Amino acid sequence: MSGAALERVFREASGRIVGALAARFRDLALAEDAFSEACARALEDWPSKAVPTDPAAWLYQVAVRAALDGLRRHRTQEQFVMQSLPEVHEQAEPEHDDELIPDERLRLIFICCHPAVSIDARAALTLRLVCGLTTLEIARAFLVSETTMAQRLTRAKGKIADAGIPFEVPAVAFWSERVDAVLDTIEIAYAKAHEDAAASGTHAHFAGEMLFLTQILVQLMPAEAEPAALAAMVRFAEARRPARVDTEGLMVPLSEQDPRRWQRSLIDEANDYLTRAVAIDPNPARVIQAQIHAAWCSRDNLEEPPPWPQVLALYDALLFRRDDTIVRLNRLVAVAEVHGVESALSHLEAMDRELLRDFAPYHAVRADLLRRAGCRDEALRAYDAALAAISSPAERQWLTRQKCLVVVP
Amino acid sequence: MQYALLIYEDESIFGPGKAGPKLQQVVGRHHEFVKELGAQRVGGAGLKATSSATTVRTTRGKQILHDGPFAETKEQLGGFYLIEAPDLDAAIAIAKKVPLLEDGAIEIRPVLSPG
Repeated sequence: MSGAALERVFREASGRIVGALAARFRDLALAEDAFSEACARALEDWPSKAVPTDPAAWLYQVAVRAALDGLRRHRTQEQFVMQSLPEVHEQAEPEHDDELIPDERLRLIFICCHPAVSIDARAALTLRLVCGLTTLEIARAFLVSETTMAQRLTRAKGKIADAGIPFEVPAVAFWSERVDAVLDTIEIAYAKAHEDAAASGTHAHFAGEMLFLTQILVQLMPAEAEPAALAAMVRFAEARRPARVDTEGLMVPLSEQDPRRWQRSLIDEANDYLTRAVAIDPNPARVIQAQIHAAWCSRDNLEEPPPWPQVLALYDALLFRRDDTIVRLNRLVAVAEVHGVESALSHLEAMDRELLRDFAPYHAVRADLLRRAGCRDEALRAYDAALAAISSPAERQWLTRQKCLVVVP
Repeated sequence: MQYALLIYEDESIFGPGKAGPKLQQVVGRHHEFVKELGAQRVGGAGLKATSSATTVRTTRGKQILHDGPFAETKEQLGGFYLIEAPDLDAAIAIAKKVPLLEDGAIEIRPVLSPG
């Protein structure tokens, strides 16, 4: 087995093995260390001997032994070991992993995304433990140093242990709040990957992990609408990635993207998830957000008119459920297309400018509306305010070009 | 596990020296809450106003006494509960029910080496 193949085996087994160990030993750090040890053993053993027929089962059994050894070394835990842990016997050919390893990934995800864990660490911890990414890979995706990321992960694991975060699927009373925390975590992590419109290497890989993670969530919570809606959203957004930036590295707005460059297979997958979500519950905000994506992705070519009226109707419905600034701004973009720039502008100017002073999307939308309304000087000032607050190069270039249109339409 | 629930409120809402009728109001609600907690409550107390606080500050072995709380903040520690709860989720559920007269915050802190 090649190095890359080994990596893949480890990564695929990570969530299930760490989850099962964490649920059994109630110790995240111990579970992670034991799994690392099993991987290290595999790296020594497999190339020289035959690779086991069921690598995950092998890894799990070795990891359980490593965890037990770890506990024995920590004599404070001695009592617990004696009471509750059966001996694990060496087996020539382990049983099949599906029967051997209990699927505790959902518990693991709920622990990693507990609202008491800092928001910065939640996605990182999920990617590390559920998706098996290395600390270095996660550090690159979040644009921090490996040391910083390692510290962040260690702190989060310490908090989970010290604060007594339960290794359980949350009780009914907490269910929706906690599912929300999980979905928020993934949404924020994905948005971070998506922020960089050009999506250079590490970000593209990271987005791939988000596809995997949302797929797992749907499998693990089949009766919930919102995980399916999130799985749909991530796929719609990923499908459009090839069209988000033009050949010169400029951001291309959604309404100007060539649908023929979108990835059809991802859109089909997204629509399947969305159908499933709507069938469970058509009302949650995330389901409506996914429907907005679907409206855009139903476009076949640039000759077809953009679906603005449908998008506006969906934003009206969304605003009713989630009244926040981003939803309002996006709705006004649609209002401008359906009811005219003046109407959108009057709504925009009624928003609290002081509160939105450093909010780039506000200035970007405002600049665009002012430019189209012919308010030259005000538009130029708004573009400057937007440029001062945006860091993504593709978006900056696009805004700079739009700003030039103020002077030479 | 044992957790301390630390109650932070702007004490000025209770009037000077925390002696106004509003204090009676919230104390009444705490009595109700204590009944509801039953055996989950291990201990706790309300604290007098920070104007009554004295702080002993130790710096490099030298101790200095000063009048007032250890830090001037918008919201002050006004009391605490010590509770027994199986895990953080259970402690959060209890913390959400701690009476507050107006705005405020409950900090949940696991206790070192639970008894």
